[in-house]
Amino acid sequence: MLDHIIRHGDEENYNWALETLKASEQFRGRRKAIGNISFAVSPGQMKRAIYDAKNGTSLPGVLVREEGDPPSEDEAVNEAYDGSGATYDLFRDMYGRNSIDDRGLRLDSTVHYDVGYDNAFWNGDQMIYGDGGGRLFNRFTVSIDVIGHELTHGIIQYDAGLIYRDESGALNESFSDVFGTLVKQRSLNQTVDQADWLIGAEILAQDVQGVALRSLKAPGTAYNDPVLGKDPQPKHYSRRYQGTANDGGVHINSGIANHAFYLAAMAIGGYAWEKTGKIWYLTLRDGLRPRASFKQAAESTIFVAGSLYGQDSNERKAVQSAWQQVGVI
Amino acid sequence: MQVSFTRTGGFTGIPLNITVDTRSLPFDRANQLRHLVERASFFDLPAALPAPALPDRFQYEITAQKGDRQHTVTVSEATIPATLKPLIDWLMEEVRGRGR
Repeated sequence: MLDHIIRHGDEENYNWALETLKASEQFRGRRKAIGNISFAVSPGQMKRAIYDAKNGTSLPGVLVREEGDPPSEDEAVNEAYDGSGATYDLFRDMYGRNSIDDRGLRLDSTVHYDVGYDNAFWNGDQMIYGDGGGRLFNRFTVSIDVIGHELTHGIIQYDAGLIYRDESGALNESFSDVFGTLVKQRSLNQTVDQADWLIGAEILAQDVQGVALRSLKAPGTAYNDPVLGKDPQPKHYSRRYQGTANDGGVHINSGIANHAFYLAAMAIGGYAWEKTGKIWYLTLRDGLRPRASFKQAAESTIFVAGSLYGQDSNERKAVQSAWQQVGVI
Repeated sequence: MQVSFTRTGGFTGIPLNITVDTRSLPFDRANQLRHLVERASFFDLPAALPAPALPDRFQYEITAQKGDRQHTVTVSEATIPATLKPLIDWLMEEVRGRGR
């Protein structure tokens, strides 16, 4: 009924219905029910909600922790809460962004999705985390960079809309890894020299031969295991994967753009989320179209670096050199 | 009956695959596999159950061969028929149970 008024009623009815819905407990977890209307909560105020799927696949599951609630006894719940908070803080404090949609969207996460589920994903509305099968992968909330990665997929959906295939898909993956690792580095207060530049280091099960799922510092070296095989990521454009598997190698070729970020950050120095992260963020927000290529992303980051720090700045030169070193330009 | 299974995509991006054969499986497991293939009406499923490419979702490719019949189904995680999910879960158990 309320939903109907919001979509079809006149303005007075609309405002009444909106206020009623906002005040209603039922609204929690029902963002989908009101279609495309986006309500900002008070700007700049973080709102998190963590749900437990209890090893089923119904979403969002049972609400177990809301903004301001004390910690749960369930470490996955707390990891999802803290990790989404650290991600929100990075984007707000450093880049002035008001949540995923830049309009105050509540951060919803579901943990314990399905049984032994080896995955984490952003489904267009919320984050979803599996417990991992245990033998190969641990629970997916255990690495804070995975949480930052998933929320960045949400940001990309609202801004650049990078199509999840071929080079634009690999850029979608790379920007998610970049901001995932920046969330981790900032939470540990690490400079570029102190950071490990790994993605999912804590997710690999104990017996797996490897250090992480991906490495921005040394793509192709994260693991080499009898069951999982060898990390397939190239770090140079000439070695890019050109087949059709994995949506055109989105998790493979992301290594090239990941390494470009690493090289730029090392040359610029300091905390990577400050200057280098800002260049990448503004590029993602304003400088990419849905079918962007690696070359276009390179040109856009160089343009942004020049605009922010000057055409003759070391920052601009560092970004240009990074993309040259990985063979994109 | 022989069943080949590949999972690609997901956050890890690491493909996993396995081929099982009812002739070499333990008796109980072989019976379960036959039952699950039948329950999914596997040989009647469309060859592709595609979905738009979505970040970090899994894709599965399953090929079953029984006598002179062979059928391959490619399915996105977002479009798995409820009747097929138990077969996928069973195949993942086999992948995880594989000796290191």
